[in-house]
Amino acid sequence: MRTSLFIAIILLSGCSAGVIHGLVNLALVEPYLDRAIGIENQHMFTSGEAKDTPQFWAEYYSYRAWQKGGQLLAGAMLGTAIGALFGIVFGYARNILPGNSFAKKALVLAAIMWITLYLIPFAKYPANPPTVGDPETILLRQMLYVSFIAISGFGALGFYLIFRRLRSKRFVAVLGYAGFIGMVFALMPQNPDAVTAPTDLVNGFRAMSLVGVTAFWLSVGLILGALWQKLQPDRVKQTKFQ
Amino acid sequence: MSFSKEITISKSSVPKVALLVLATIFAFGIFEVGFDQGQLFSIVFGEQAYADMYIHELTHDMRHAAGFPCH
Repeated sequence: MRTSLFIAIILLSGCSAGVIHGLVNLALVEPYLDRAIGIENQHMFTSGEAKDTPQFWAEYYSYRAWQKGGQLLAGAMLGTAIGALFGIVFGYARNILPGNSFAKKALVLAAIMWITLYLIPFAKYPANPPTVGDPETILLRQMLYVSFIAISGFGALGFYLIFRRLRSKRFVAVLGYAGFIGMVFALMPQNPDAVTAPTDLVNGFRAMSLVGVTAFWLSVGLILGALWQKLQPDRVKQTKFQ
Repeated sequence: MSFSKEITISKSSVPKVALLVLATIFAFGIFEVGFDQGQLFSIVFGEQAYADMYIHELTHDMRHAAGFPCH
């Protein structure tokens, strides 16, 4: 394995997919974020915490423009981080994944990781816009979210090891994971915060958030698969003496 | 008489140094985008970093959009 090339294509694919994620969010998620933050502003005016003045709005629009720029930077950072995990798993699993090319294998792995690390946790603890979320419960919510993702991810890994050992009826391992994660889903506590924001805002935000993260997983699978196919970092030249 | 020839082989193992680098990037990136509440900058700015929450504010929109708990 050419170590530098292996690391470089993983980081490049993750960062690129993260920027795509950020761009999708700018187009689809930001309108919902603006609306939710508008509700927070109204609450601040009502409570007297802020005054509805031209100066407030000038500072607000400047601040929001900065935060929207941060969407792209954070996308690149998050994409690079998750892409690093994706690359590690792909490095170990590429020879056992189904598919007749690395591009197809990467897409299969991206789909598996999207389901186990994002979609199932999202079903239990869906994304929420600003105005939903009590600062007092942030630690609990973070612990629940991370725990659920870890349990789902390691659960999938465990049932994959069972899958490998089975000579026949391998679907039992898939059913086993489904039963296991279904039980965890039922037993884990709910998000303690009440959702008081308008339903159309919350549902629209969640749908667009889902589209954005899905675009990331699709992109990282396509990009890493294509780069691996072209550059094959695991192919090394050796001189043989006879 | 001996001669040499160059062959291409596939090495399947992931280098340990790559594993270490990628795992570090994963942990650091996830923490910064998903969870930092001033911890990183507190190394330089002390307690003030927890009040400013610069990284939290910068990554705020992605934090919500990617599904991390916020506020």
